[in-house]
Amino acid sequence: MRTTSSLCFAILFCLFFFPSCSEEQDFDQFDDLSITPAIASSIFSVEASEDFINSVSTLSAFYTQTFVFEAFNEQFVAERLLEGNITYDFENSTSKPINIIIEFLDEGGNVLDFESFDIAAGPGEMVSRTVDYGPNGKPLFLLTNTANLRLTGRNLGDNTSVSTEPEAKFIMKSAAEFLFQLVE
Amino acid sequence: MVMIPLLGTVLLSAQNKQILYDFYEIPQALMVNPGAKAQEKWHVGLPALSGISVQAGASGVSVNDLFANDGIDFNVKVRERVINALSERDDFSSTSQIELFNLGFRGKNRREDYYSFGMYTETDVIVYWPKDLAILAFEGNGGANIGRSFDLGHLNLRGEMVNVFHFGVNRKVNQELTLGLRAKLYSGVFQFKSTNNSGRFRTVPGQENTLENSIDADMQLQTAGVDGFLDIIDADTGNTSSEIQDLFTRRLFLGGNLGLGFDAGFTYQLNPQTTVTGSILDVGFIYNSKDIRNFTLRGSASNEGINVFLPEDIDNLGVDLWQELVDEIEAAVPFEENGQGYISFRPIKIYGSIRYDFGEGSSKTSRIDCGCAINVARGNSGSYYRNSIGGQMFLLKRPLGIQPALTGFYQRRLGKSLSIKTTYTVDKYSFSNVGLGINLQAGPVNFYILGDNLLSYQNIADSRYASLQFGFNIISWNGN
Repeated sequence: MRTTSSLCFAILFCLFFFPSCSEEQDFDQFDDLSITPAIASSIFSVEASEDFINSVSTLSAFYTQTFVFEAFNEQFVAERLLEGNITYDFENSTSKPINIIIEFLDEGGNVLDFESFDIAAGPGEMVSRTVDYGPNGKPLFLLTNTANLRLTGRNLGDNTSVSTEPEAKFIMKSAAEFLFQLVE
Repeated sequence: MVMIPLLGTVLLSAQNKQILYDFYEIPQALMVNPGAKAQEKWHVGLPALSGISVQAGASGVSVNDLFANDGIDFNVKVRERVINALSERDDFSSTSQIELFNLGFRGKNRREDYYSFGMYTETDVIVYWPKDLAILAFEGNGGANIGRSFDLGHLNLRGEMVNVFHFGVNRKVNQELTLGLRAKLYSGVFQFKSTNNSGRFRTVPGQENTLENSIDADMQLQTAGVDGFLDIIDADTGNTSSEIQDLFTRRLFLGGNLGLGFDAGFTYQLNPQTTVTGSILDVGFIYNSKDIRNFTLRGSASNEGINVFLPEDIDNLGVDLWQELVDEIEAAVPFEENGQGYISFRPIKIYGSIRYDFGEGSSKTSRIDCGCAINVARGNSGSYYRNSIGGQMFLLKRPLGIQPALTGFYQRRLGKSLSIKTTYTVDKYSFSNVGLGINLQAGPVNFYILGDNLLSYQNIADSRYASLQFGFNIISWNGN
């Protein structure tokens, strides 16, 4: 009986009072945590019928529009923007070449940057252009200081010809995908 | 936000008290089975020291997995061991219980009845890994995630702190059967829950533009009692600490949201050596009507950016197209607040066990001189058996379903003063959970300590589960 009790006490002693061990932990590693999600979203699209393009004099733009665009200059976004790109897709089934100019304007209306695309007369394949921003592209401040976008579309051909394509139209699409530093 | 559960890894748990269960030499065994074999004439728990339990568990990752000083890049560890490894059913949870007082006494006129009452404070938090939301936060919706549907229903969390006033009756119906019932009055300190969420967010190739982002959400976070504390902290009057203390004390003593519940249990002796037991705990609710602040996100919306169709839109274009788009989405999926009261149910627990006693003692042991003699059956009580072996089952109602655990145990009684119980438990946290409980009786002074998952003490940081319970009582079996 005494032997059994002694044995039990020895086991209990070992289990409860033996100092527990732990591998060395380095909680400062948490400071190294980096969360950089890639956020993707469409920006704007324009679809213009050939009839509409023909209805406007070739001397002036068939479409021009300035609108507030502060997606990148919100403080939270601007401070965390790392790099990314904007992709522009064009489909032109009209009979005339089209020029598209996208101007990036600051709050004072000054042009920070612009992109100009000449799209050949259709019908043709979809044309896709990607503009990079960040270390391997244009400076990010062009986006983070942008308060407005001005979009201008010009007919570089005539305004009488009609495409043989049914429902001929010019379509421009755009989307952005950027990396953000949420946690550093 | 998604890293918050990881920071709590060290504090994680289930609520299983498998060592205490059916360890009827300890008065607190009545708290996990009000129908346990009560043997005492009376007992008094040392105030605030009669029952302290802290449990912690994480089902998918340990502190060591992330923070071991192993030279591996922390971001790689997070990605491989958390983001890519955990499922939405993995959880981080913590439960602690502090008994402020616990008393028990046998009825004067009904010797077969043992009454016990007391008060304890319990804090219970469970956060399920919000898998899809975490992936969305870490990787975003771009790149390879275009086309992926992120399940917003992966947000599941629940937590509360309650003070429980309880009164229980334990009745020995006959030599074989003991029944018990415990009524509970809950005084809520705080409560929050976000469960039964649904919805999805996804980005796919669009029709009108390159990409279409769509959200369909039905999400809710309900809170009660949280705002009061936050208001005090925000006010920062210079007296913050004492104001929080006052509010906390008020809430502990019925000044907050109140609720009712009960526990029930039984012990049935199939034969002199075989006993089955069962109990159901915390069948109850709290009606949260004070200090309520709920948040909802409900609705559906999809967008492909600003879409201009010419000539249809030529006269409808303003300069605020982008803001109009944002406003449109916010109107379609409004993030709103309300103060509607709600009912929160307590996490129900169910225990069951079967025990086989053997190894009759050579001398009459601990309870033969008991003044009550209530649980001494025909001079051949189970108390006279030195050994017990058996199995236990535990079920816990959690936001994502029933969480089970199975336990095998061996109990050894050494004379009048010492009883030990070892357990092996399998549950979602561990397949190697060996626990040990010791009950020491020095005269009327009772001390118990119960520790779980002892093998993990070799590297405690690598443990996904840990629990510790201990307490002091004064027990009387006769007139002393």
